[in-house]
Amino acid sequence: MSVRDDPLLRLDRVSVALRQGGREMVSGVSLSVGRRELFGIVGESGSGKTLFTRTVFGLHDDAVVSGGEVTFDGRTMPAKSHHTEMKRLLGKRIGFIPQDPFSSLNPSMRVGAQITEALYLARGLSPKSREARDAAIAVLAEVGIPEPDIAFRQFPDQFSGGMRQRIVIAIVLAQEPELLIADEPTTALDASTQRLIVDLIVERSRTRGLSVILISHNLELLRQSMDRIGVLYSGQFLNLFQADQLAHQEVHPYTQALFDCIPTKDKTLADIRPIPGEPAGAGFGLAGCSFADRCAFAKDRCCATPLPINDAGQARFSACIIGKGA
Amino acid sequence: MSEPMVTLEGVGKTFASRALVRTRSFALSDVDMVVNKGEIVGILGESGSGKSTVANIITRLLKHDAGTYRFKGRDVTGYSKAELMAFKSDVQIVFQDPYGSLNPRATIRNIVRESLIIHRPDLTRAQQDDRVSELMFEVGLGGQDIDRYPHEFSGGQRQRIAIARAMAVEPELLVCDEPLSSLDVSIQAQVLELFTRLIRDHDLTMVFITHDLNVARLLCDRVYVMFQGRVVESGAAREVLNNPQQEYTASLLEAVY
Repeated sequence: MSVRDDPLLRLDRVSVALRQGGREMVSGVSLSVGRRELFGIVGESGSGKTLFTRTVFGLHDDAVVSGGEVTFDGRTMPAKSHHTEMKRLLGKRIGFIPQDPFSSLNPSMRVGAQITEALYLARGLSPKSREARDAAIAVLAEVGIPEPDIAFRQFPDQFSGGMRQRIVIAIVLAQEPELLIADEPTTALDASTQRLIVDLIVERSRTRGLSVILISHNLELLRQSMDRIGVLYSGQFLNLFQADQLAHQEVHPYTQALFDCIPTKDKTLADIRPIPGEPAGAGFGLAGCSFADRCAFAKDRCCATPLPINDAGQARFSACIIGKGA
Repeated sequence: MSEPMVTLEGVGKTFASRALVRTRSFALSDVDMVVNKGEIVGILGESGSGKSTVANIITRLLKHDAGTYRFKGRDVTGYSKAELMAFKSDVQIVFQDPYGSLNPRATIRNIVRESLIIHRPDLTRAQQDDRVSELMFEVGLGGQDIDRYPHEFSGGQRQRIAIARAMAVEPELLVCDEPLSSLDVSIQAQVLELFTRLIRDHDLTMVFITHDLNVARLLCDRVYVMFQGRVVESGAAREVLNNPQQEYTASLLEAVY
C-alpha cells in the first residue's frame, strides 16, 4: 500500500480556457489522484476531456489553465507559470501515452533509438551506451514485445498497431514516471487488442507503483480497470465515484444514463435506455447543469442554480443539485 | 421453411495489386453464408477479417470471383438489366461513416429522394416529397428542415439520414456495415433503438456487420464469425456468444468489456 497518503496530483477548481479569446471550455474541476491510484476520466466527444487533460499537463498550446491550482507532489503551480513548470515534469515524472500509435512514433528512427533518446532525456543515460541499450531492451521485453533485441533495431512500420502502442508504452516506462497519462490509448486499435493494451497499462502501473490517469469514452472499460472515475460533460465536472460502486450505488444521473445505454455482457435489449437529445459541446459557459435538458430528473432550478464544485476535494462527489448520487 | 434470401456458396474474392510486383491478396475464401427472410444476421470479426468485403459482395458493390451468390434463389451474375434494377432497390446498405457517405453538396431532401427518382418513377414530385417527410419522421428527424446540407447535422442525425435513404425504396434486405461504431455511446443507443423499431415495423431482413459482440448479442438472431477471410464459426447468436466452440471466437469474447 501507499507509503504516503498525500495525493500525488491535486486539482483545485481548475478551469481551462482557450488562449485566443479566452473562452472558458472546462470549468471548476476539483479532484485528487492518489499515489498508486488508477483514475479514469470519462466523457463523450466534445465533453472537453482531452482538451482539459492535455492543457493541465502542458501538452496544449492553444489553451491555458485559466483558474485554480494544480498541485503535483506537494508543489503548487500558480496558473501563470503552470505551463513552463509542467513542461519540466513532462517526459520525466509525468509520462504521456497519446491516442494514435501510428503518428506518435518517428517513422524514420529505429525503435531502439527512440527509447534510448527517452532514456537520455529523462535519466541522462548516454544514448549509445551499453547501459541505455540494455535498459531499452529490458523495457521492450517488459511490455511484451517478442524478441526485444531484434525489435530494438527495427522501424515502427514493421509493427502492428497493438505492438506500436506497446512500444509507445515502453518509451514512457523508460522515463520512469510517477504519473502516467493515457489519452484514449486504444481507440485507434482493434477491439480485441484494446483490452490487452489497457491490461498492460494497468498491470505495469500496479507493479511499478505508478499513478494513472486514463481518458476514455468507454465507461465499461474504465469501470472494469480503474479505481476511481471522474465524469466530464460539456466542460463540467459532474461526478466522481469509486469504480466498483457504479453498479451498486447511486451515481450522478448522467453517469447512470451513460451506464444504462452501453450494451454489456449481461444486458438485454430492454435494459438499454438511450439518452434523449444530443450531447452539448463544451464552452457555452452555462451557469447551471448542462445535462439538465436531457436529464430525466431535471427540475426548473437545475438550469439556473450554479453547479456545485468539489471544494473539499472529497473522494466521492456529485454535482447534482437535486441530490442524486451525492 | 422459408426460402433463404441470400445464399453464398464457396464465395471468394481476391484483390490484385500491380504496383511493382504482381501480388494477389485473398480477401475472402470459401465463404458459405445463408440469410433467411426476417432474420438479423451478424457478421463479426476484427478489422481485416473480410466482413466489409462480404457486405460489399452481398450488395453487389463488389463482384465475387469464386463461388456462387444467389439472391432469393437466383444467381446474381446472370441478372438481366431489369432484374439488376430490382435487386438494387431490394438491397440497401448503411455505411459506417455518416460523414463520408452523404454527398456534402446535396441537400437532405435530394439525398433521400435520389433513390425514389431512380426506382419509383411512378411517383410525382409531390408524392416523393411526402415520402421523404414520412421517412424523416420515421427515423426521428421529423420537423427538421430537410433543405439543409449534411454538414449542418450531427453524426447521429447523419446516420439517421443514411438510414432514411436506405429505407426510402422499402428494401427487403438492409446491410449495415458497422453503423454504430463512429457514433458516441449515448447516440449509439439511440440508433440501436431505431434499428430495433425498423426491424419490428418493417419485417426487415438485416445483415449487421459489427466488431462489438455486445451489440451483436442484443440484436442478432444468428452470427458468423470471420477471421482472415474465412468463416470460422457460425450459429445462433446466443449459443456462439455464450458458448463459443472455436478458440478464435473465445479470444474475441475475452477481449470484450
